[in-house]
Amino acid sequence: MIINRNILYIAFRQLSHRRRQTLLTIGGIGISVMVLISAISLMDGLLQSFTNKIINSAPHIIVSGEKITNPVSDLLYKKDSSSTFMFYKNVERNDEDLIKNYARVENIIYTDPNIKLVSPVLSINVIAKFGIISQPMLVLGIIPKKADAITKFSENMTEGKFDELERSPDAIIIGSSAAKDFQVKVGDRINLVSNFGNTFAVNVVGIFSTGINDVDNNAYANLRLAQNIGNYLPNEVTQLYLRANNLDKISGSAQTIKKNTNYDAKTWEENAASVISLYKTISSMIYFLVFFVLLVAGFGVANILITNVLEKYKDIAILKSFGYKNSEISAIYIIQGMMVAMLGALIGCLLGFIMIQILSSIPITPSQTSSVRSDHLEMGKSPYYFLLTSIFAMIVSFFASLGPSRSASKVNPVDILRGER
Amino acid sequence: MNDTIIEFRNVYKDLITQDNNEVIQTTILSDLNFKIQRGEFTSITGPSGSGKTTMLYLMGILDKPTKGTVVLDGQETTALSEEQLAVLRNDKLGFIFQFHFLLPEFSSLENVMMPMLARGKYTYAAAREAAKELLEQVEMGNKLNSKPNQLSGGQQQRVAIARALSNKPKVLLADEPTGNLDSKNSAIVFDLFKKLNEETNQTIIVVTHDEGFAHRTRRILHVIDGRIDYSTNI
Repeated sequence: MIINRNILYIAFRQLSHRRRQTLLTIGGIGISVMVLISAISLMDGLLQSFTNKIINSAPHIIVSGEKITNPVSDLLYKKDSSSTFMFYKNVERNDEDLIKNYARVENIIYTDPNIKLVSPVLSINVIAKFGIISQPMLVLGIIPKKADAITKFSENMTEGKFDELERSPDAIIIGSSAAKDFQVKVGDRINLVSNFGNTFAVNVVGIFSTGINDVDNNAYANLRLAQNIGNYLPNEVTQLYLRANNLDKISGSAQTIKKNTNYDAKTWEENAASVISLYKTISSMIYFLVFFVLLVAGFGVANILITNVLEKYKDIAILKSFGYKNSEISAIYIIQGMMVAMLGALIGCLLGFIMIQILSSIPITPSQTSSVRSDHLEMGKSPYYFLLTSIFAMIVSFFASLGPSRSASKVNPVDILRGER
Repeated sequence: MNDTIIEFRNVYKDLITQDNNEVIQTTILSDLNFKIQRGEFTSITGPSGSGKTTMLYLMGILDKPTKGTVVLDGQETTALSEEQLAVLRNDKLGFIFQFHFLLPEFSSLENVMMPMLARGKYTYAAAREAAKELLEQVEMGNKLNSKPNQLSGGQQQRVAIARALSNKPKVLLADEPTGNLDSKNSAIVFDLFKKLNEETNQTIIVVTHDEGFAHRTRRILHVIDGRIDYSTNI
């Protein structure tokens, strides 16, 4: 059906004639579009800033000493079918989760061209003592230059220098969250007590803050120092942190590494799966609730159109009497719905844009319990929020206008024209 | 060329109403047969409830007969769809009602332009020119941009007449056009109709209560109880 200009004109004039109600309805759409845009931006921004921080400062793949359970040895199966074996228990040595001779494993991993960097890590649990405070702490032994390429400590130092770690043999750097717990400063000396009861006095040479609490609760030491404290051999580590060239291919790389090394390899997505799925669940719940806001705005559209149709029975009848088709009468009211939606969406996009600016400038107190810390709300910014929300508002309005436009097209001119008498 | 513009062949019209789950069928028109020629100025008279308005709506193909055929300008209309009827109405008919039914949001000029713009036969500029001319013809040239609520009853009816004429209809159908007007304005409306009929040979059919009005037209169809009581040429 070709909508001629006159239909648009009639639709527009009827709407502008009921200015106050039209403006209120447009405002309703506008506000709900704004709320939806803000909600999407907020949730998307949170997820984005979370994944960005992880991608930038967490290993893309972690290879850990967890052995993959070996299948039952082939030797047990005999060609001879007369003898039967009963498999009683798959006895495994109760090894610690260690990667032994990590240099060899590194070489195997480097055969995958997607792997840019391997950083060996030995994590040990110690009791840290400073003054009267005594608390368990995770110390990660690293090779400073390699670890820095993954976690970017040197960029995130709030006090002291990262380079010190390499220079002095008894230095550690400590995350801001842990530093707060112990109230230590650069230059302080704290005692680390190992599992075997040995005490090591170490120098705090720096404090860093990455924004990821998992990282900032830990302390980092030279690999050699950590091996000494934990009583490990120089070729033993617990994990290998990997950085990849292409993030899209990391799950394939992880599979290859598992197969070639027999050690477990997990991508960052697998490691953060629970947090990501929590984000996604919360987002979808929020979208669901906000959807109802737009639905209510849709009722507003239906309301103004129903009023328009009811009040315009006479006009509809007269338009039909001089040759407007039923489909054209329907079009008038669908166009009205679309006009209201378009104007509402336009206003909503403007308000939404302003709202995003305001929200992202509000300072917030960083919380230690959340997985990612930030001093202001990270709002997502994408033209798609505006586009999708506007399209959505149009769809809601379209459905809201179907009923009224249908009843308008069903008006029987004879009933109305005669009814005047 | 056929000189008949409207023909009723055995036209019946029943009205079906429902009252307390009881379907009541009222016969309004029964077995109507008549022809209206091109250029006729006809009035349809009769008491209230005689079915004269129903006849007019059937001629205007706004309503469909229960039985029988209405032929408009040589075309049988019974089998046509709603959309086709709308096109036909726009093309061949102009309506005037007792109440003017002008669209309140639009000026006189825009109201007159409406039927012309319905089917896209005119450009906006052409419709505007034609509408202006028509309004001058009904002596409303000085009220082109007035809204209906700024006009008197007589002025509104003249705008409605201009609107009915806007698509150069084959037939002008009027339902009690003077029913709501004082004698002075009724006279203006009648003189307009007469002038149209005489100068442009416009076919006009008027349903009226006004005996004086009816007797000055050229033919009277008197309807009683859904039948034509008599038809006289004056």
